[in-house]
Order: sequence, then structure tokens, then C-alpha cells
Amino acid sequence: MIRNYIKTAFRNLWRNKAFSVINIVGLSVGLACCMLIFLYTMDEVSYDRFHEKKESIYHLTADMKGPDGHVNKSSSTGMMPGPAFKQQIPEITDFVRVQSADFTVKRGNEVFDQDALYADDNFFSVFSFPLIQGNPRTALKDMRSIVLSEEVAEKYFGKQDPVGKVLELKVNDKFQPFTVSAVTKKSPQNSSIKIKMLLPMKFNQSLNNDTQWLNFFLNTFFTVKPGADIKAVEAKLANVFNHQAADQIKEAADKYGLKDKISYGLQPLLQMHTSTDYPADNGLTDASSPIYTYILTGIALFILLIACINFINLTVARSLKRAKEIGIRKVVGGQRRQLIAQFLGESLILSFIAFVLGIVLVQLALPFFNTLANKSLAFSYLLSVKLVAGYVMIFLVTSLLAGFYPALVLSGFNPVQSLYNRQQYAGKNYLSKGLVVLQFTLATFLIISTITIYSQFNYLMHFDLGYNDKNVVSIAAFGIDKQKLPLFKTELLKDPSIKNVSADQGGRWGTLAHVNNAQQIQFDMKHIDQDYLSLFEVPVVKGRNFSKDMVSDSARSVLVNESFVKQAGWKNPVGQVVDFFYNKKKYTVIGIVKDYHFLSLTEKTPPQLYSMNPQYPYGNIFIKIKDSNKAETLNHIEKTFKSLFPYKPYQYTFKDAQNAQQYDKESKWKQIVTFGALLTIFISCIGLFGLATLSSERRKKEIGIRKVLGASVEGIVRKLSADFLKLVVLSAVIAAPAAWWAMHKWLENYPYRIGINVWIFLFAAVLVLFIALATVSFQAIKAAISNPVNSLRSE
Amino acid sequence: MIKITDLEKFYRTEEVETIALNKLSIEVKRGEFVAIMGPSGCGKSTLLNILGMLDDPDGGSYVFNGVEVAHFNERKRADLRKHNIGFVFQSFNLIDELTVFENVELPLIYTGVPSSERVKRVEEVLDKMQIMHSRNHYPQHLSGGQQQRVAIARAVVNKPKLILADEPTGNLDSSNGNDVMELLTDLNEHGTTIIMVTHSEHDARYSHRIIRLLDGQTVMENIMI
Repeated sequence: MIRNYIKTAFRNLWRNKAFSVINIVGLSVGLACCMLIFLYTMDEVSYDRFHEKKESIYHLTADMKGPDGHVNKSSSTGMMPGPAFKQQIPEITDFVRVQSADFTVKRGNEVFDQDALYADDNFFSVFSFPLIQGNPRTALKDMRSIVLSEEVAEKYFGKQDPVGKVLELKVNDKFQPFTVSAVTKKSPQNSSIKIKMLLPMKFNQSLNNDTQWLNFFLNTFFTVKPGADIKAVEAKLANVFNHQAADQIKEAADKYGLKDKISYGLQPLLQMHTSTDYPADNGLTDASSPIYTYILTGIALFILLIACINFINLTVARSLKRAKEIGIRKVVGGQRRQLIAQFLGESLILSFIAFVLGIVLVQLALPFFNTLANKSLAFSYLLSVKLVAGYVMIFLVTSLLAGFYPALVLSGFNPVQSLYNRQQYAGKNYLSKGLVVLQFTLATFLIISTITIYSQFNYLMHFDLGYNDKNVVSIAAFGIDKQKLPLFKTELLKDPSIKNVSADQGGRWGTLAHVNNAQQIQFDMKHIDQDYLSLFEVPVVKGRNFSKDMVSDSARSVLVNESFVKQAGWKNPVGQVVDFFYNKKKYTVIGIVKDYHFLSLTEKTPPQLYSMNPQYPYGNIFIKIKDSNKAETLNHIEKTFKSLFPYKPYQYTFKDAQNAQQYDKESKWKQIVTFGALLTIFISCIGLFGLATLSSERRKKEIGIRKVLGASVEGIVRKLSADFLKLVVLSAVIAAPAAWWAMHKWLENYPYRIGINVWIFLFAAVLVLFIALATVSFQAIKAAISNPVNSLRSE
Repeated sequence: MIKITDLEKFYRTEEVETIALNKLSIEVKRGEFVAIMGPSGCGKSTLLNILGMLDDPDGGSYVFNGVEVAHFNERKRADLRKHNIGFVFQSFNLIDELTVFENVELPLIYTGVPSSERVKRVEEVLDKMQIMHSRNHYPQHLSGGQQQRVAIARAVVNKPKLILADEPTGNLDSSNGNDVMELLTDLNEHGTTIIMVTHSEHDARYSHRIIRLLDGQTVMENIMI
């Protein structure tokens, strides 16, 4: 019997190629999307699971609760908690601290920038990173040892054996030798800790032994005894902290006015990757927000649902053609459940073909999806029983979802009616119409979202930042000899293509100070030189800019921005005093800088203070160049830089490109939603095309009679199209408020945002309507211009 | 074999109720060949569908082989049908996606006959109907006469006790029509009870008895000599 079913199924698929293609294409795209997302989710939940001690490793977190009740959550902690907690709390069996670092590495005459991590010497006994060479117990014992990953070892030593070889690392402005003690295998794709270069934490402590409990800058991990009560351990953490850090807390309260209450917590290692409260940070990688997973899953399910709707609608609409077969099968003894089994079997076969095609699509789409989702997914490392089981589940659920309703409807046909051609196309088809509305609602929703996201993106990209970021070259300058900066400037300015050169401290720094005697305010602080504001064309609205001729500027003067003035409540800001009470230094405001958007536009411009204090190092050098001969100018800059700073790797970007990069996330969203929208509208339309085909076939006789009685081609096309277009209009009406709400929520993340305009909705509605019209009218026109004699005779 | 008493069947739409069978009583004995005649809309096909358990009556009694079946549910009817009744239709009603062989095999599949036995029985009946050479053809490649032979082959492959034929020659020319009637007569002579709805007096003459219906009631019975 099963052979008979399979035979009929294949012959049916073959005979109705158009419908088979529509269904298979739609389902395979939908399945491929779901399989990709499943792969994505598998990767997300597989993070850090390869560690043998994964269940007993915890990540130390800290909460800082302010007097206003606001809690700052930190995944970073300091040097102190690790050893102190291990010593005092018996449930804690071990601790490892991991801190990020950057080094300039010298190998021969070449210099490189290298990311690295400091780690305690028991690192390899807590985490399971296999070594290719070297002893895991002793690899980090020696103060001057380094561990390299295999790919970094190859970068520096090629095919040579790296163990025992020396690399020079720049420490305190001097290159110092370190000996390679071990080589690790490349860290797994799904690891929060990615080893490139490891140095002993002891070495870090020898440079700067930080005994402050209230500094938060590294990751502390503990192993905890199996079965330990984590809540109880956390209570003990609080006791130890309150006891050991008591003096430091008091000092901070007295000196800096610290009122925050600090408490520690233990985050299971396996929860770290997807945590939004305590993300993997400070040298740990790939922190992920579950919202991405939710949205991607949502879109994938949308697409699969729409493909299933195509299957349901087309199968039910085509049922008239199969009514005779159903009748015959019943007459010769087929029972309803046997027919249900047959139809489910058919949807299973069709889904299986789509499934196989879907797997091929997944393979093809994976590189593209990886860029879209910021991943490096591959079947190779994710292939597991769970993955296969998950895929089989997706396949089965899809077959059932698509096949069950049609099977129920078709098997319920009355044989008498079907054999005597009395079968009517089921009622008013509310379900079928409802499903079409659902499809187009989803499609319209995504189109509105796409247009809104595009508009917002465009708005951010063309926003007037209040400064000119065009033709500004930014060079990474951290660690350079700042005495040489004036010489570098002079050398560069000899080239007429270079208009201006300046430098700032780099990074983002915040601090607090007193104004108006004891009013405490928090602000961003930036260390710049006298040319910074003029280079970026930021106006000083009151007072004056820094000047290198005024010696006191570097020692006692600051500039502040308009937001700072507003926050301080100053009417006459120039001449006001900013009191850095914790180091007992006072500065005078000499000028007011117009607010400009130095941060990403996802944040409002905060109060900012500018100093020219020479004690700070420089992080970036900015060079304003002319628009012409860029290549030559860049060449000149590079040469000059290398001759003056031979042991600093030369790295440059353009400031406007750097700014655009801040919107990578938005750019990704844009692409994801666009693809979602394209796929949904495509699958919805092929479904609509199928329905329109069936409808015009079914109404062939009616069209013939109408034509015989004098109806025009336009009239018939209008009549045939109108039914479908009404549904599409209804979809737009339903989608609009839903999309408005969702986009409103999304835009709330942006302090600078577009208003949601009516034209977005109108444009989306017209677009969907147009696409639907093009889809439907093709069939309608074909039906309308056919010779009525043929259709009437065939009846 | 069949005894119906006061059988009723109505067709309702929102506005009108049509009486298709009006307290009809008929008895058919095992081995009989009965023709049912009457004008369009007199209830012939309705009667045939109820006899074939494709449709259920709204009133009255239907005893098949001594069992009251008027109120059987679909599953029971399907069960009874597949073991006892074969159908032949005017429009042949073959499944286009299946070959001649597979169409004939279908009832055996639903009655659970094992595969080797099926091949044997299908070949036997195809041979008897002289369509063995077309066994791998699809219905649409056959002439009307050949299609009806396939349909008859399908109706008899399960060795049913009763064959219900609804205008079996309606779509055939007279020569093919006569062949079909010869086949039915032959089956009847080998013991199969046949009830045939027809418009054709010529075909009706092959039967033992003609029941004439009008407005859902028997108006006359002719015994053929």
C-alpha cells in the first residue's frame, strides 16, 4: 500500500510541476531559514561546553547599587577577589584571573600589534585548552614565559618549532624578551576565551600590583566543589568582601563620595555567553545578545509559516482536481484514515524533497549568513545527534503543519459528490483567505520595518555631527613617544596636501568633579591638543580655544561643552572653576565648545570636559588631508610615521569610516530584515500566483460565459484580480498598526531618530499591492484573453 | 441478498427540499441481474449510491445479506463495501495517475491481499478482460471501451458478490457497449448479482428484471423472459 501511495505521490508531483515547484521552493527556503537559525542557536548554546569542568566553573560578577537604587552590573572584577575568596571560602577550590592586554611584538625587524591575555598559572588545569606542545602545568610558571596559539605561533615562526624561541614584547617603552613555553591548539569557534597569546598574570602583577578592591578590570573565574550551595557561597563572598575591603570602602566614601553598595555574584560559565547583564567582556569574546536569536528565529518561522500556508492553500484549492481520485479510492474500499495517511505521506515526500534542497541551500547560504549574523558557523563542528534530531524534528513538524489540514479536508470528501462532479470548492474559503491575509500581513509588516530601518539608518549616516569627519586620517598612536609628536606634526605639515594635525587621548574616559563649590557632576573627559577643535571644525562659542602660547593652559585651563554648562547650571561659564576634589586640583573654564556628537548617535551627547594636561599619553593622531592625491598623501604619512616611530605598528583608518562602523549593528539589522522581507514577499507571491492560477482555471467556464455575453478583457481582469487584491489591502490595514508599534519600540533605542511617517505605510502598501497585482494579473489576463469557445466546449 | 423497505432520501438546500427516494421498497435475490430505468432525476443514481453504501438513507431499512446496514457508520460501510461490492460507472472513474495494472490492483490493496497474490489475481482478470497488453498504460491512453474494461476488471478483481453499474455503456459506442454488456452477463452467469442503472432499453434487455422508477417510487416491474 505504501508503494502505491509513494507512486501516486510522485506522479502527482510530476504531473503538477508548477505547484510542486512553488511548494518545494517555498518550503525549502523556509526550512533552510529554520535550519540556519537552529544551527545558530546550537552554536549559541554550545559556547564553552567543551571545558571538562564546565559545570563547576563560575564567573565572578559585581553589582554596584547606587543610593537611587540603580544597579550597575559588572562582569569585571579586580585582582583581589580571586585569592581572597579562595582562601576564605572552602567551597571554592580554585581561581583563575584573565585580563586582556595589547602588545607590540618585535620579530626581527618587523613589529606587530598583538592581542593577548594575562592568566594565572593554573589556567590550563581549570579550562580545557589542549596543548600541542609544552606542559600545561608549567607553561605559565615562569614570569617570562608566553604561550601561543598554533596560528599565532605560525605567524611569528612559520614552520619552525616555536617552543624555546624568544619574542620581544614592548613593556614600559622597552622591548623585553619572552620565551615561548607552549603552543595551544586553535581555540574552538564556540569559546568565550580565544587564546592568541597568554602571559603569566604574575608578570602583570610585577608591573602593577593592584591591591584595590574597588577596581574592576579583569575576569575572575572560580571552580566550586560539586553540590555546593551557590546562594550560600554568594553570602560568604559578601562577608569576606565587607571584612577585607572595609578600609578601602571607607576611604572611597570619604574621598570620592562613593555611596554605592557593592555585592558579588557567581554566574555559571555556561550562562556567560548569552548574558546581557554580565556579558563576556574584557578580553573574552563573542558576547551575544539573545534578542538577535529571537528576531532571527521570528523571521525564520515567519518564512516557514508562509511556505506552509502556500502548501495548505494550494493543496486545498487543487483538491477539486483530486476529488475523483478520492471518490474512487473510497468506492473501492479506502477508508478515511487510509486517505489521511496517503495525503500526509504526500506532504511528507514533498517536504522531504524540500528538506534535502534546504540542506543544500543552508550550505550555500552559510557564508553569507555568517557575515549577516557575525558568526563562523559550520556543520563540521556543530554536527551532533542533537543537531540531526533537531533537523528531523523541523522536517516532521513542517510536514505535519503543511499536510494535516489538507489531508483532513480531502479525505472528508463525499465519494458520491466527487464522482458525480458535484463537489464544490469548499464554501467561502474563509480559511484560505485568512491564510493569504496572514501571509501578506507578515510580508507588509516586514516591508514597513525594512523601510523604517533604512530611513533611520540613512538618517544616522547623514546626521550633522557638529564636526567635520571627512578626509581625516586617524592613526593608532597608543604607546608612542609623545615628545616626538611636535616633530611629527612639523614634518607632516611640510606637505601642502596636509592641512592640519592633532592628537587626542583615545578611548572614552569619564570622571566626576565638583562645580559651584560642592555640586558633584559626572562627565566625559577628553585630553586633546590645541589643534583638535580646529581640525574637526568644532566652534568655540564663548571664550577661547587652548593656545600653545599660553603656558597656563596645559596646567590649569579646561574647555567644556554646552551640555556641561547646562548640567552645571552656569549663566556665565567662562571663568568658572571645576574642582577635581579627589586629587585636589582645580581648573578654570576658558571656553565653551559647541556640543557635537563625538559618540555614536545611539547615545545623547553627554557633558564633556577637554584638557591639555601633558601627563596623559596620546591614543590617536588625526591628520586632515586635502581631497586630492590621497594615495600619495597617505604614503607620505606612513613613511614619516615609520621613520619617527619605527617600533610602533602603523595602522590607520579614516575618521568617517570609523564613524560609519559604529552603525555596523544597524547595518546588519538592515540586511537581516531586508532579506526576511524579500523572502516573505517572494514566497507569499508564488503562493498567490498558484492560487490565481487555480482560480482562473476554476472559473474558466464563468469567464467563457461572461465573454460570450460581451464582457471586456479589462473587466474580466479586474474581476479576477479584485478578489485577491481586497485581501492584500486588508493585510496592509492589519500590518500597519503592528509595524507601527514594533518600529516605534525599535526607534526608542535611538535618541536621534526619524518620525514614523504616513508615507512609509502608504509606500509599503502600494508596493505590496503592486507586487500582488503583477502576480495575479498575469493569470487573470491569460484567462481573460483565452478563446471562450475552448473553455465552454471543455465543459 | 438485498431488501430495502420504505427507503427515503431527501436533498436539502437552504430554500428547497427535494425528495429523491420516496418510501421505496425493492428486493433483489442472489444471482439476479436487475436493470433500473427511469427519466433523469427519478432517483436511480441515488438508489444505486445507497445500495453501494456510498450514501446513507434518511429513512427506511436496508438489509444487505441479512444485516441491517442503513445506519452503519462510514468505517463499517467501507469495510462491507470493499469485500462485497464492485462499482462500474458511466465515466469509468479510473485514477489518471495510476496505470491499468495499478488501477485494477487498488481494491486488493485496500482489502489487504498480499503482493504476490495481487499480481496473480490482477493478471488473471486483465487476461479475462483481454486488456493484458495495456497493463502498463495510463487510462488516458486507452479508448473508452478499453477504459470501461479496466473499470470492470477493477470492479470484479475482489470477487464481489454484487456489482453496481451506473450506465456502464453511456459513454461507449454500440459495439463497445455490447462488449461491456456481454462481460456483465458473463459475470452474472458465474454467480455475481448485478444491479444496473440504464437509459438504454437495449441494455436493459440483458437483465432478468427491469424496475422502472418515477419521482423516487417504483412505477412498474418487468420480468424479462
